[in-house]
Amino acid sequence: MSARAFRKVLIANRGEIAVRVARACREMGIASVAVFSEADRAALHVRMADEALPIGPAPSRESYLRIDHVLDAARSSGADAIHPGYGFLAENADFARACEEAGIAFIGPRSGTIALLGEKTSARREAVAAGIPVVPGTFEPVAGDREAAQAAERIGYPVMLKAAAGGGGRGLRLVASPVELLPALARARSEARGAFGDDRLYFEKALARPRHVEIQILADHHGNAVHLFERECSIQRRHQKVIEESPSPLLTPTLRRRMGDLALALVRRTGYVNAGTLEFLVDADLQPYFLEMNTRLQVEHPVTEMVTGLDLVKLQIRIAQGEALPMRQKDVVQRGHAIECRVYAEDPDAGFLPSPGRITALRVPGGPGVRDDSGVSEGAEVQVHYDPLVSKLVVWAESREEAIRRMRRAVSEYRILGIRTTLPFFERVLDHPAFVAGDVDTSFVDTVLAAGNGRPSPAIEIAVMAAAITAFEESRVKRTAPGGAGVAAWRAAGLREAHGSRLGSRA
Amino acid sequence: MTFDATASGRTIRVDVRGGDGRYTVSLDGRPIEVDHVATGRHFASLLVGGKSHDLGVEKRPRGYAVALPGGALTVDLAEAARGLSMPARPTGGPARLTAPMPGRVVRVLEAPGAEVAAGQGLVVIEAMKMENELKSPRAGRLQEMAVREGQAVEAGALLAVVG
Repeated sequence: MSARAFRKVLIANRGEIAVRVARACREMGIASVAVFSEADRAALHVRMADEALPIGPAPSRESYLRIDHVLDAARSSGADAIHPGYGFLAENADFARACEEAGIAFIGPRSGTIALLGEKTSARREAVAAGIPVVPGTFEPVAGDREAAQAAERIGYPVMLKAAAGGGGRGLRLVASPVELLPALARARSEARGAFGDDRLYFEKALARPRHVEIQILADHHGNAVHLFERECSIQRRHQKVIEESPSPLLTPTLRRRMGDLALALVRRTGYVNAGTLEFLVDADLQPYFLEMNTRLQVEHPVTEMVTGLDLVKLQIRIAQGEALPMRQKDVVQRGHAIECRVYAEDPDAGFLPSPGRITALRVPGGPGVRDDSGVSEGAEVQVHYDPLVSKLVVWAESREEAIRRMRRAVSEYRILGIRTTLPFFERVLDHPAFVAGDVDTSFVDTVLAAGNGRPSPAIEIAVMAAAITAFEESRVKRTAPGGAGVAAWRAAGLREAHGSRLGSRA
Repeated sequence: MTFDATASGRTIRVDVRGGDGRYTVSLDGRPIEVDHVATGRHFASLLVGGKSHDLGVEKRPRGYAVALPGGALTVDLAEAARGLSMPARPTGGPARLTAPMPGRVVRVLEAPGAEVAAGQGLVVIEAMKMENELKSPRAGRLQEMAVREGQAVEAGALLAVVG
């Protein structure tokens, strides 16, 4: 493949990842084109890009998932490449193929590779052929309920029920016993159909207390491939990651090297190109089992960037331009420790239910070693139509202990009003002895939640004082303002306006 | 000016005196000197006994939301001096399950008349690409199922009543 420099890249995504890609383009001197739904006209990713085009109504299946709309936008803007981000069309082989046929570079693997690895049972077959251990289970999707029951019986309960087209925890169910199977099949099918338009399911044996560890890889069009070490992703809610770190406190140097070699074996076997991630479960005996390969940039890629010093988005673009990888395996080093906390618009005290709404006040942390990859600014509306990820708070420090301290500091600096977020949950995790000891498995979130959330009295008292003084000041402004009718009128007004006038009076 | 302030299930009698940034705030009769300055449209700085607190403060229908390190607290205020105390929360009686976010009802898990346990799933709502199982707020008999499968619901909409 001959190298050609891109002049303009269309970003087929929204939110923080679209902002992330636009930033990489700006640094590389490449023009960026954002696309947006009717609900996203004011979104940060539109404002961060050089150009922006509407692609349809708010529901993603009418906008961000419309291959034809995205390609029309690419053609009309004259983009020579498309970055799909993650989610939406990122692992859609039809989309990658449509880009190839339109002569627009898809910044990711070839469409054939996406199809091969995107169907999770065929990915399992490829892994076995490459000599990689996989979790016991089915190697083809299961057809009807009866076949499913037989397969689950054969594998042995508890089993994990998974979407063959899956990813992101959708269509995923733990089934502990035969009585739970039929309802779980119905739920998983409907969720998989909604998320992927494909309700085929397969089974894996559910491992006891597994750790979730993944290996980042990069491969170019010239046969060069490297791995960028691991990310530990065991802290999950609803089978979706909320905290990731690198290095994993679990891995020994030998296991780290072995998992890197296993990852590169699948890369070589499939002729994989661009960035990708192999997810593994590691059991209590430190045995790794391949789960699946994500043929795209991962949400949690910043932790790898922080410990390797590499820019994965820029490398993705350079690979897609036909350039050779600028490094060999021996040049890739893991330095220090990085942690990412995903700030979701969710209420951790209500089972992580979504908490959409307008972000009315926002102040983000900064300072040494802190990175906030955000998709919002103050005033932004967290839309009910899309993923509730608000930002990724990432820290780097020389050691894990220092990184935890730094993350505690960064979380304590965050101020966000208007929506509930996962930030209070992170405070509890970062103080939890098991997390500090690096001893967490995928059931850790439930452990933390079970411990309860008693906010200490001093925090309540400070909040009460701030609220009471603010109310007191507002009532004074009302009483002294011309035409003011006193406290009763202020209360009747529903505590609504006044804030601005109070500030004005004190300026 | 005296309030009954309620946060995290705790109610505190608060009296505020002073002005122009310096206040004496009494919490259940315990006086505390507070230095307060607004630092932005929704932000305030408090110095209490030399300790610095950087807060977000924003209006809510019954009081304020206050952003502190790691999260936000809602403080409900009722002006005690005028006898405008907050209505007492009912402790017994039927409990209402409402939609915490807008979405679509994909499944109704129990029919009216069913005996349900506290925390048992009653309705599955799809929102933000996820199916969310909404659970019974208490044990009892399902008196009413206010939604049907396929129905779109707004945030706050009544879903079910458990008595």
